[in-house]
Amino acid sequence: MTAGITLTGVGKVYPGGTQAISNLDLAIEPGELMVLVGPSGCGKTTTLRMTAGLEEITEGEIRIGDRVVNSLDPRERDVAMVFQNYALYPHMTVYDNLAFPLRAHGLARAEVRKRVERAAELLGLDGLLGRKPRALSGGQRQRVAMGRAIVREPQVFLMDEPLSNLDAKLRTEMRAEIADLQRELGVTTMYVTHDQVEAMTLGRRIAVLSGGVLQQQGPPQQLYDEPANVFVATFIGSPAMNLLAGRIERDGDALVCALGDRRVPVHPANRAAAALAGYTGAEVVVGARPEHLTDSAGSPPDRPRLKGRVRFVELLGAEQLVQLELDAIPVVAEAGTNGLPGRGGSRAFALARFASETRVSPGDLVEVRVATGRLRFFDPKTGRAIR
Amino acid sequence: MGLARYSRATFLRELALILVAAVFCLPLYLLVAIALDTTAQSFKTPLSFPWPPHFGNFAQAWHAGGLGNLGHALESSLIITVSSVACLLVLGSLCAYAVARRQGRLSNVLYVLFVLGIILPFQLAIIPLYVAMRHLGLVGNYAGMILLNVGLLMPLTVFLYTGFIRALPRDYEEAARVDGAGLLRTYARVVFPLLWPITATAAVLVGIIVWNEFFVALIFLAGTRYQTLPVALYNFAGEYVARWNLVFAGVLIAIAPVLAFYLFAQRQLIRGFSGGVKG
Repeated sequence: MTAGITLTGVGKVYPGGTQAISNLDLAIEPGELMVLVGPSGCGKTTTLRMTAGLEEITEGEIRIGDRVVNSLDPRERDVAMVFQNYALYPHMTVYDNLAFPLRAHGLARAEVRKRVERAAELLGLDGLLGRKPRALSGGQRQRVAMGRAIVREPQVFLMDEPLSNLDAKLRTEMRAEIADLQRELGVTTMYVTHDQVEAMTLGRRIAVLSGGVLQQQGPPQQLYDEPANVFVATFIGSPAMNLLAGRIERDGDALVCALGDRRVPVHPANRAAAALAGYTGAEVVVGARPEHLTDSAGSPPDRPRLKGRVRFVELLGAEQLVQLELDAIPVVAEAGTNGLPGRGGSRAFALARFASETRVSPGDLVEVRVATGRLRFFDPKTGRAIR
Repeated sequence: MGLARYSRATFLRELALILVAAVFCLPLYLLVAIALDTTAQSFKTPLSFPWPPHFGNFAQAWHAGGLGNLGHALESSLIITVSSVACLLVLGSLCAYAVARRQGRLSNVLYVLFVLGIILPFQLAIIPLYVAMRHLGLVGNYAGMILLNVGLLMPLTVFLYTGFIRALPRDYEEAARVDGAGLLRTYARVVFPLLWPITATAAVLVGIIVWNEFFVALIFLAGTRYQTLPVALYNFAGEYVARWNLVFAGVLIAIAPVLAFYLFAQRQLIRGFSGGVKG
């Protein structure tokens, strides 16, 4: 029977005083796959290990289903874990590796055989049961590690960067396989990764952590479209969101945002429009995804534009990424901290997406069209989104 | 990087190595040559290889002596060595597992105590030890000798195992815990098998020390029917001081089991030494 995971006010302080996790609230519904993502040292693996029972928690409460598991031993929690380096027992065959958790729980020999064979068939490991882990390829080892997790039919899967040791192609394949398997088995899964692409493609919901603090949780698209703060804005999405320093000004009835010597109107449909009125005369951080800065060719001349000089062009086939040097003040989000933005150098660089037919080369002076409805605004003091 | 040409320098280097090897082999040659010689010849021409070889020395050495009978001594040595090593490996690895994995000051203190046990000369305590052991009825029998060996070599065994376990990734144990295994199962099924390389090293090292141990065995076992090969050889040499050919034949008999074991196990052992833990 699968069960949800609920973390309430969970904190972890390591001996020596390092605060790894602060006041974390997280609820994973039964059957849901939740991805914990963040840069290294953000506390995501610690969260997973606390849920597994491999790490004690300093404060708060962890529930699996309706049981509080704070002080339970890992084996009493009914969870299965896939480790980053798989942790397959090197001296045992694949069969014995898969059978280990079943034997540890005292299952009868016939039942062990039945379940191991079923898992092996599900994962395509039939022919490999007699082999030792060192005779397997990376992908096969990964599959055995998955197999060891599923044979026991636990309440919860915990996966700690299970794909990080695979090459890019295999990673994409296994990602799809894990997603299928999880859907098929319907077991609640907490999945940790530092790779935001993996998080975006795999999770039905994503929780972004930084510095031991939950930054935002929600469906991938929501995190991408409505980042809660500067950290999430730059961490989710590849390439990252461009951040520029702007100033909100009033132009008659309308609000405009001054970016360097250009003034870009604030779109009335923009979610931030109402709240931005309170920032009149104040500085804000303006976030623009590369796809919202596009080639201005063919667009009416009265549309908001920014001018910039091309630094380099990356041709991606269907489109090209153009790095521009804008006449605006740059902002850098310092990843790893709480996402508070700071001033960068003297010139702002921004990435724009151009259609592949457009001819641009380094040194050209170009104009880019700004999708003002999609601009995001952040408070420069708190880093939080204005909305 | 290509293969170096066989030059004059290489030749000279090889020659030097062969000469050094020959010097090292000389005592072994003397041992074999004299063991196969008649008493008279062994004094006249000790360096020449005897022809025809005189194998009778071995039979004579084997049957000679009452308490110092080599057959008995061989049996004692085997029993004491095998039992001591088995106890050392099981208890030493368990102890080291706790010392290496338990966090806290106590395990550090324990570790330091074990290391001290390697450094301090136990000979200092031999008289009180003897008295205590005699009161406990542990002098002149297998149990006492095995207990002594286990105690004396436990620090070395724990030291060897602790270093290895500290370098062993914790993932395997954590995986076993999450998989539902208790401490003992985790140790027996996951940890101990992973310690195989160091178990082989410790077994050989400790085994050789116990097999060759003379001082303690002389004090605790001399004059009993449980005396080990080194003690028996010592008595034998005292008895046949004028007949080195018999003494050397006895020495060869004592070496034979170790040599046989080495030839039998060398491939396994080398694999054990050179292999690590691979996932």
